[in-house]
Amino acid sequence: MSETHTVEKAPVRISGTPTAQSDPVRGGSQRFRRQRAAMFGFIAPALLVYLVMVIAPSLQSIQISLTDWDGVNDAYNYVGLSNYEDILGSERFWNAVKNTLLLGLGSAVIVNVISLAVALLLDRLHHWQGFFRTIVYLPALVSGFIAATIWKYILNFNFGAVNTSLRDLGVPTWAHDWLGDSDIVVSVLLFLLCFTLGGNTTLIYLANLQSVPQELVEAARIDGASGRQVFRFVTWPMLAGAVTVNLTLAMIAGWTIFDQIMVLTSGGPGFISETMAFFIYKVGFGEYRAGYGSAAAVVLFIVVLVSTVVANRYMRSREIQA
Amino acid sequence: MSDATMRITGTRRRTVAAVMTVLGAVGLTACASGGEEEGAAAPDKTEIRFTYATGDESWNGAVKSVVEAYNAQSEIATVQLDPLTGGTDYATAVKTMDATGNWPAVIDMRDTRTYIEAGKLAPIPEEVTALLDDAVYSPASDGNVYVAPSTALNGEIGLNIIYDKAYFAENDLEVPATYDEFIELLEEIKANGDVPLATAAGEIWPSDQLWKPLASPVFAEWSDKGGFWAAVEEGKASVEDLREPLDRLKYITDNFVLEGWQSTQDAQTTTLLVNHQAVMATSSAGIGRLNDIHKVAPDFEAGLFIVPDDEGHINVLKNSVNGDTLSGLSISAQAKENGAEYDAAVDFLTYFYSVEAADIIEQAGVIAPNIKLADEITRNTAIPGAEDYFALLESPELVWYQNETLSPNFSAFNTFFRQTRIEMQDGQTSIDEAIAKSQAEFDNTITAG
Repeated sequence: MSETHTVEKAPVRISGTPTAQSDPVRGGSQRFRRQRAAMFGFIAPALLVYLVMVIAPSLQSIQISLTDWDGVNDAYNYVGLSNYEDILGSERFWNAVKNTLLLGLGSAVIVNVISLAVALLLDRLHHWQGFFRTIVYLPALVSGFIAATIWKYILNFNFGAVNTSLRDLGVPTWAHDWLGDSDIVVSVLLFLLCFTLGGNTTLIYLANLQSVPQELVEAARIDGASGRQVFRFVTWPMLAGAVTVNLTLAMIAGWTIFDQIMVLTSGGPGFISETMAFFIYKVGFGEYRAGYGSAAAVVLFIVVLVSTVVANRYMRSREIQA
Repeated sequence: MSDATMRITGTRRRTVAAVMTVLGAVGLTACASGGEEEGAAAPDKTEIRFTYATGDESWNGAVKSVVEAYNAQSEIATVQLDPLTGGTDYATAVKTMDATGNWPAVIDMRDTRTYIEAGKLAPIPEEVTALLDDAVYSPASDGNVYVAPSTALNGEIGLNIIYDKAYFAENDLEVPATYDEFIELLEEIKANGDVPLATAAGEIWPSDQLWKPLASPVFAEWSDKGGFWAAVEEGKASVEDLREPLDRLKYITDNFVLEGWQSTQDAQTTTLLVNHQAVMATSSAGIGRLNDIHKVAPDFEAGLFIVPDDEGHINVLKNSVNGDTLSGLSISAQAKENGAEYDAAVDFLTYFYSVEAADIIEQAGVIAPNIKLADEITRNTAIPGAEDYFALLESPELVWYQNETLSPNFSAFNTFFRQTRIEMQDGQTSIDEAIAKSQAEFDNTITAG
C-alpha cells in the first residue's frame, strides 16, 4: 500500500480533528505516532518480562560480582574487586577462555564452510531437494543436551559404538578415550558442536543462494565466466549478509557452549575442557561462590561483546565492499 | 476494507468471542470440577515431598519401598518421592527450589552447613532424635539438630575395592594385609595378562574412591589433633604432607588401572568387573554395590576389601555429624512455616527410624540407620560378599579417624582438589604442580575465608 493512500484516508478516520483534516501530512504523523504507541503496547508485555527476567538480573550480577555471596544466605560482604583479581590471575579461568575462543571461532569457521558447501550442493539439486534439506536440518532439531547424551554413549571408551566398531574391524589401536584423552578432547567437542549448529546455517545460506538474481548469473555466464568465477564474483558477494549473520550466530553459540560440556566431560579430565560458561556455572552454583561466578560472567560478557563487535565490524565492511 | 467485509469480520469476531467465552466457561468448570475431584481423593491427608539424591539401585529401591509402606499405613500424610536423578547437579537443584520457594518438606541434605547458616532448615524434634543412636547425630551451634542419618553411619567403610573372588581363588591370590601386598597383588594380576583395577573419574567425585584409602594414613595421623584439613587451615600441616599418597596414586594409575578411567562413570565399573575387563573395581556404595552385582550377575562371586596402610591398619573416616561434609535427612524451614507439612515430615521421619522401616531398608540391600532398637532389626545376610563388609567392621586392624572440616567453603576446595588430582593422574601436570595449585587454592578459599 502506498504512503499517499494512507495519508488520503487519514483525515476521514481521525474525525473531530480539524487540524488533521486541513493538514494531511500532520494528520499522518499523528497517526504514525498512534500506531507506534499501539506497537509499543503490543511489545510492552514481552519487554517487561525481558527487562525483569534478563536485563535486571544481568545488571544485578555486576553488583553481586563485588561481593562474597554464596548464592543461598541472605547475608554477604562487599569485597571490592578481589573476585576480578582472583579470576584474572587464575590459570583455570584463562584455560576456559582459550577453550571458549577456540570452540567459538573454530565452530563458526568450520560450520560455515561446511554449511555453505552443503547449501551449494542442495541448491543444484533438481530432485529430492526437500528430502535432503530435511536430512541436513534434522540434527538442529535435537536439543544440545540430548545430542550430547547420545554422543556420550557412542563415544564411550569401553562400550561405545565407535570404539567397538574399530575393535571389531581389527584396528583396536585406533580406539581412543574420545572424551577422556586430554590431547584430543577439545577437538572432539569442536567436532560434536559443529553437528548441532550446521542445520540452521545451511538453511540461511540456501535461502540466500536461491535469492541471488539469476539475471546476474546469466549475464556473467554470457560474458564467459566459468562456474568458479561466477561463484567468486557474483554469488559470494551476494552472500555477504548471510555470512555476517551466520558467523555471528555461530560465534555466539560457541561462546556460550555449556550443555555439551556438562554432559560429555564435566570440564575434564581435570580442568582441560572447561569453557567460560561452564566455569561460571561450576563456581557460581556447584561451589557456592555466586560472587566469584558473577565476576566471571561479567568478564565473559565483555569478551563476547568485544569479539563479536570486532568480528561484525570486519564482516560489515566486507558487505559494503560487496 | 469495504462495509460488507467489515460486517462479515465483525460478525466473525462476535462469533469467535462467543465461542471462546463458552469454551472458557467450560474450561473453568472443568478445572473447578477437577480440583474438587483431586481434593476428594486425599481427604484430611497432608501431601509432602521427599527429595532425595538417587544412587545405586539398592538405595533407590530402599527409599521407594519405605515411602510406599509409610503411605499405606499413615493416616495423616502422603509422601511424594522427588528424586534428583543421576546427572542432576545437587547444588543447582536445591538452589532452584530455594529461589522458587519450592522446598520439599523432607530433603536428603548435602552441603548442610551452608543451608543451616542460611536458615533454610528446621530443627528435628526430640521425638525423632530419641529414636536414634546418640552417636549418629549432633546439635549445631544453636543447640538444634538439623540432620539425621539416612542409612547406617559406618563411616567411609563403604568406600572400598570390590574384587572377583573366583579369579583370586583360581590364581591363589589373597586379600592384601599391607600396602606392599596390595602393590604385589596388582603386579601379579598384571603379570597374568589381566587388568588389575577399574576406576572412574567421569563424574569427578568417584576419583575419591582410589584416593581416600591411599591418603587415609596421613589423615589418620591428625585425627586426635582436630583433623588434617583443620591443621592445614591453622598452618600446622600442608598439602605437601600428601605427597606420598599422591605419588602412590600416580603410580597405581599409570601402571595398573584400566584405560579410559578419565571418562568412565561410577556405575560402569560394576559392568567392567562382571564382564571380566578388570579383576577389581573401586566403589563407594559398600554393600549396595555387592547387591547390585548380585542382581545383574547372580553367579559372580564378589568380595570387598579396603586398601591397608604400610602397617596393615585399615584407616576409615568416621562420619561427620556436624562438619561441612555432614549429610542426611532434614526438614525444611518452609515446611515448618506451613505447620501441617512439618507435622507430616516429623511423622514420616518417626516412621523412617522405626524397626519396620529398618527391616524394609535391609531387605532392599541397604544397611539401615543406627536406631536405638538396632537389635530388633532383621539383618539381610543373603547378599553374597556381605560377610566381607561385616568382617571389616569387626576387624582388629580397623582404625577410625576424624577429619572434620568446619569451613563452609571446604566443598568448593574439595571439588578443585579432585580435579587437580585427576589432572595430575592424567599426566597434564606434575605432582609438584598439583601440590602447589592445591595449596594456593586452599589458602585462597579456606584460610582467607
